[in-house]
Amino acid sequence: MIRVRGLTKRYGPIMAVRDLSFEVRPGEVLGFLGPNGAGKTTTLRILGGFLPPSAGEAAVAGHDLTRASIPARRATGYLPENFAAPPELRVGEYLRFRAGLKGLGGRARRRRCAEVAELLGFGDRLRQPFAALSKGFRQRVGLADALLADPPALLLDEPFGGLDPLQRVEFRAFLLRLAHDQEKAVLFSSHVLPEVGQVADRILVLDRGRMLACGSRGELLARLEQAPRLRLRLAGGAAAGLAAALPEAFPGLTVLAAEADGLLLRLADAGQVSALFRWLAGRPEEVVAFQPEEPDLEELFRVLVAGGGEEAA
Amino acid sequence: MRAFAALLRREIFSLLVTPSVYLLLGVWYLLNGILFVYALDFSPEVQSDLSLLPQYFFGSSLLVWLLLPAFPPLVTLRLLAEELRLGTLEPLLTAPVSDAAVVLAKYLGASLFFLLFWGGVLFLFAVLSLLGAPLDWARVLGGFSGALLCSLLFLAVGLFASSWSGNLVLAAGGGAAINYLLLFLPAIAENAAGPVGAVARAAHIPNMLDRGFAAGLLDSYAAAFFLGLAGLFLFLTWVRLVSRRWVP
Repeated sequence: MIRVRGLTKRYGPIMAVRDLSFEVRPGEVLGFLGPNGAGKTTTLRILGGFLPPSAGEAAVAGHDLTRASIPARRATGYLPENFAAPPELRVGEYLRFRAGLKGLGGRARRRRCAEVAELLGFGDRLRQPFAALSKGFRQRVGLADALLADPPALLLDEPFGGLDPLQRVEFRAFLLRLAHDQEKAVLFSSHVLPEVGQVADRILVLDRGRMLACGSRGELLARLEQAPRLRLRLAGGAAAGLAAALPEAFPGLTVLAAEADGLLLRLADAGQVSALFRWLAGRPEEVVAFQPEEPDLEELFRVLVAGGGEEAA
Repeated sequence: MRAFAALLRREIFSLLVTPSVYLLLGVWYLLNGILFVYALDFSPEVQSDLSLLPQYFFGSSLLVWLLLPAFPPLVTLRLLAEELRLGTLEPLLTAPVSDAAVVLAKYLGASLFFLLFWGGVLFLFAVLSLLGAPLDWARVLGGFSGALLCSLLFLAVGLFASSWSGNLVLAAGGGAAINYLLLFLPAIAENAAGPVGAVARAAHIPNMLDRGFAAGLLDSYAAAFFLGLAGLFLFLTWVRLVSRRWVP
């Protein structure tokens, strides 16, 4: 549905996107994960038809974005980052205007506007000016706009921005229904890791315009599971001394996080676990809890970005 | 076509619900009313021959030299600059509609709205006629047509200036500056020798209005001049809009 091959975007000397290739199939949610400036928005803007690529190809529903931009845009629902609508328009007026732009007219337009407004829970706000809406409701209007023409592909740039926790939960469920029940190809960007982990079928990690990794959450985390992680809870604030001593005693061990009463460790291999037990038994520090911990996306992201994708790959 | 109609409706609606545009309209009516009364009460030519009123009003008055270049950019300043400023251009240009349709709809919307400005002026002539003044309607309608065509050019310039950035002051000031240059440069250079003088005389807007339209003549050269130049500025606006799609 969404196909990208060798996509590159330069802003003068700056490479915003480098040789990016991926696909999003119908019914699939692909999450773009990356820090600010990773190239997420630029890629989505190219796929939305707002910017041209410097090199490479991108197509939506078989329509090449350079040669057949309007059919490609017709097949796409695009929610830009910081979505804004003309403040002088009421929500209903704005949706009807957008529906008209997307080729809907007459009763079909009115019906569809009411449908998407109900679907996204702002059916009672159609007469409110856009400027009077909260950030969360503005975001919903933006998503409603993207859904108006019932496009097969959705491009959502930071769709969770500005939503409160309850809205995030609803929005996550809604995105999954769109993809899995309505067979839409959903590509969304975020730098909020838990959101990406919970929604995306596959995750594409991007940094400085380059793809560092792409796969399901399980596939990506499997890259880290070779190195077991342990969380130690200590009595009496003894963590600082241990944090310094552990890497010297155990080559390859990394202290991932150090707090006053605890440490998060990444071991070089599983064989270090029993050696660590024995070593700790001979130490004066009192260990009150010893807990293996599954690696999470934050760790993966940190390792990928720090190592340029090579350490975890 | 449906997308273009939606764009056009939105542009006209947005202008109709913008309070500052009504303030502008009020100032325009007031200043034109003052000029109209001034022409009737203080111009010896008009007082001796009322048929010269359209020529005085549409051809060589302060309306042409001062108001006409300034007001169209004040109407068009928001058309693209506001979209750039608010960030609404991205949703607009990612909709399945061509950049040319966006430019044309904005221009057509502003042009139709500007008819309100000229409607009020025409109303002054209608009132005068109803009061029994022997007006030469060929000259009135000719002058009106010339002013309308000139407005179309100045609106296109205003739209072009509005595409530069999200700065509304730059959009209004830049548009007005180009309009004043279009008006004054040929007037300054018309007596120059050689091709410069020839070009200046061929592009002399007040002469086209004064000696052509306001004299009751439908000047096809002047009409082509105004429409052609308006087309050029619309093209430049389109280029400005599509240039973001060009590969660097």
